[in-house]
Amino acid sequence: MQAQVDKYLAKLIRHGLIAGEADAALFGLDDVIFTNRDSVPAEASELFSLLNINSLLIARPEPMLWSIIGQLADGNPGLIRPRDCESLTFIHDIPVVPSLDPGPVARALSRRKGCIVRDTGIVTTGTVSLEQAFISMSSICFATFVKFFTGALNAAAGHSGAAPVDPAKRSACLELLERSAPRAFVEPLPRRLPAATEDEAVRAMDEAGRSVVEAGLVDSFFGNISCRDAEVVYISQTGSSLDELPGYIDRAFMDGSSTCEITSSSELMAHVRTYELTGDDAIVHGHPRFSVIMSMFGEPLEFGRTRFIGDVPVVAGEVGAGSRGLLHTLPPAMEDHHCAIVAGHGTFTSCTGSFAPALRRLSSIELMCYRACRDVLEAGKTG
Amino acid sequence: MNAYDYRIRALFVDVRSREAEFRELSPGLSGTFLGGRGIGALLLSDNPILDPLHEQAPLVFSTGALTGSRIPSSGRMAISGFSPLTGTVCSTSVGGRLALSMKRSGIDLLCITGRAVHPVVVAIDDGIVSFETLSLPLDAPLSRVFGELRTGPGSVAAVGKAAFGECRYAAIMVDGVFSSGRGGLGTVMASKNIRAVTVRGSGTFPVHDRQAEEDARRDIIRLFDASPAITGRPGLKHFGTAALVDLMASRRMMPTANFRRTYFEEYRAFSAGAIHRRFSPKHHACPGCPIACKQKAHSEIPEFETLSHFGALNENADLDAVIEANRICNEDGVDTITAASTIACLAEIRGECYTGARLVDMVRRIADSSGDGELLKLGSAVLARELGAPGKSMSVKSLELPAYDPRGAYGMALAYCTSTRGGCHLRAYPISHEILRKPVATDRFSFSGKARIIKISEDLNAAIDSIGACKFAFFGASLEEYARGFAAVTGLQIDHQDLLAAGDTISALERHINCLRGFTRKDDVLPLRFFTEPGTPGPGIEVPPIDRAAFDEALDRYYRIRGCTKDGTLTLKRREEIEQCRHR
Ligand code: SF4
Repeated sequence: MQAQVDKYLAKLIRHGLIAGEADAALFGLDDVIFTNRDSVPAEASELFSLLNINSLLIARPEPMLWSIIGQLADGNPGLIRPRDCESLTFIHDIPVVPSLDPGPVARALSRRKGCIVRDTGIVTTGTVSLEQAFISMSSICFATFVKFFTGALNAAAGHSGAAPVDPAKRSACLELLERSAPRAFVEPLPRRLPAATEDEAVRAMDEAGRSVVEAGLVDSFFGNISCRDAEVVYISQTGSSLDELPGYIDRAFMDGSSTCEITSSSELMAHVRTYELTGDDAIVHGHPRFSVIMSMFGEPLEFGRTRFIGDVPVVAGEVGAGSRGLLHTLPPAMEDHHCAIVAGHGTFTSCTGSFAPALRRLSSIELMCYRACRDVLEAGKTG
Repeated sequence: MNAYDYRIRALFVDVRSREAEFRELSPGLSGTFLGGRGIGALLLSDNPILDPLHEQAPLVFSTGALTGSRIPSSGRMAISGFSPLTGTVCSTSVGGRLALSMKRSGIDLLCITGRAVHPVVVAIDDGIVSFETLSLPLDAPLSRVFGELRTGPGSVAAVGKAAFGECRYAAIMVDGVFSSGRGGLGTVMASKNIRAVTVRGSGTFPVHDRQAEEDARRDIIRLFDASPAITGRPGLKHFGTAALVDLMASRRMMPTANFRRTYFEEYRAFSAGAIHRRFSPKHHACPGCPIACKQKAHSEIPEFETLSHFGALNENADLDAVIEANRICNEDGVDTITAASTIACLAEIRGECYTGARLVDMVRRIADSSGDGELLKLGSAVLARELGAPGKSMSVKSLELPAYDPRGAYGMALAYCTSTRGGCHLRAYPISHEILRKPVATDRFSFSGKARIIKISEDLNAAIDSIGACKFAFFGASLEEYARGFAAVTGLQIDHQDLLAAGDTISALERHINCLRGFTRKDDVLPLRFFTEPGTPGPGIEVPPIDRAAFDEALDRYYRIRGCTKDGTLTLKRREEIEQCRHR
């Protein structure tokens, strides 16, 4: 379990979720507690005794994120309700408690996978592995960032229900936006697709996955990636981390003739349908923050309708293949544009020849959305 | 919002005296043991050392608090008793309309004791109990019994030829195709001279907070839709549990030739794809379940464990024989896993292989008690012992292992041994994280962290079995969402940690009952084969024997976490805590 502690501490830093090692305490419990700290603080021991869990993460997000969370918590005492699709599906809402008093924190964690502790940071748990606590922490950071800027944008644009922004808040917001500019995109090696062998396909996916994560185009584990070779689709497994793909790639058949892919991404069917409609070789799906924010800007998009950000279609659809699932809306949009944003969820891009064009497109859409956010904020109404 | 005081309404029936009495369990007990399996364990603990077939040994049919609500996939019934196969406490979760009908009849729980003078049908109609007889002979196929008893809405739970022929692993069949299979509770029912329980009801259900119920329902459905294992293209919704055949073969953990190998080259003969190509089966479901994992063609399509065990475990690539073996088990009321495993055990001992028509004939003999059936009906542990080869029974506490080879998933290895009903995959269901990556993936070839994971998973699954939910729902949703549903329906201020705490109490109580029945650490162990023989390797996969020392250390850790001594019995402190819970 110590290996898990070390791994997720390193990931918290690598993903930019915390500023340094001192900002996170990770605990994994089997019959004894493993941690990155010299000793186990009383609060952590108490939380383990109050909760039937095996993993605990207490972390202070990096300063900018923490200030955003603080502002959001000020405006939503007790409970933050994110509206983005992943959060609605997986974390529902985020309790806010004032201090690391084990009683109230345990009560909050008895309801939800994580909570915000005003004087400390984010506290999350797992019953199987520290990976769950890491995912919840990352999801809360993503959800709060998206909610903060969506709210700011709607307020700046004077959309219904949003309060006008005072000039000081607006410039603070712009400053935060400036500091959140999308990272430079690292182009992966241009491996040819369709790949000559399965190993080649895995290598291409590995490189592409890592560059999506390094560019900050996906939060923690969500997002998926695939490439096609005639009748076979190689696709990342459900819940796999895009920067650790080797060993976590499923081989699915276009015609569904094997069920081995039961562990593959929940979007497998949307990928297969997209390949059928586009004839492309690769699909990349990330959760770039500003693309998600811009897709939620304005009135909620009705299921079945399409709008555009620049030349990129935005469609509605929930995760997966339910009756209102993105399976029904995404592939037709991809057929015409080879890219689409699913409102409140993330961006899909597809291409032929290698992963590079899809990755470039994912990155350029994010940059376009970032600039669009800035334009709205700069032009915004003030109170 | 109408207030709804959650109390379990129990009907106690003595089939000898033909007396029936309604009693409401205290709110304290209802909150602590929840319903379903939890209440079953509570009632068994009142008289924990009875022989399974003793007249006073209870047979408990118990619904969950969510049964009849709009919370998806929550219409399961728990049937509990002492197992004549294993001697342990035993509880099974069964689908069909039985739980729903009981709720409609105004009953949360039916506890049967006594032994009827003549074979009877216990008929419950809107809470009124009567005793009926059935003109069909005791060895009539169950389809005829169901045909006779099923009139209009309602539900029937029946036992057949195997149960009355003293097969130790007879099943209780519900509504024809839903099986309460493991552990031989059908044999218990037959020992009470009960052929069937029929339930009809016309009532409705109180719900504390309809809006909160709807919110919980919506959250759960959204998670089902996001789950590849449920609604994904290869998921349960499309292929039923047969979807696991390809996966288990590819992971090299498909028990083959009585667990001598872990890969069957001809597995595609009974894969989900083969079944769909040949039969295009139709789906059906337990009430209120949008997953609808059950499949039917000309005959019921077997579940994954049955496909794999009548297939790979017996080296049989004849899909028709697998389906026919399953049909016979349903008609005679026999647990398919134990049947298939006992036949494979006999085959290994004799150095033979029973496939195709020969396999089907063996299955038929179990309920007939003819030829090898006399031995087969005792289960593999007794059979192997009687034939002087006890090591050939692939069972834990005499319950035959299902179709997940423990050498391919170490959490599963531990869970088989700590399970309170013997070698069962459903008590902790580590396949969820070790293979299906839910809620996250764990290293299947490692014991690291597994002791606590298994303990928590046992608590989780005890809670699931006690609120009436189906385990498959948890490939998508979690107890967090179901706890909200539970609170909405019952009005109890309860969250998922409270449900886990109840699960902990239930699991500990079951272990305690087993200890009182003489089970200790010596029984919490896998057959020697798994520590000495490797499984079948595959591309990039080695399947070595399990390291015995590492297993023992994990078991030690589990005992410490569960509140047990080194011997596997509960500590005095834990026993006192459990005792307090029993008297709330
Ligand atoms: S998933 Fe299958 S077994 Fe579970 S409740 Fe639904 S139909 Fe029944």
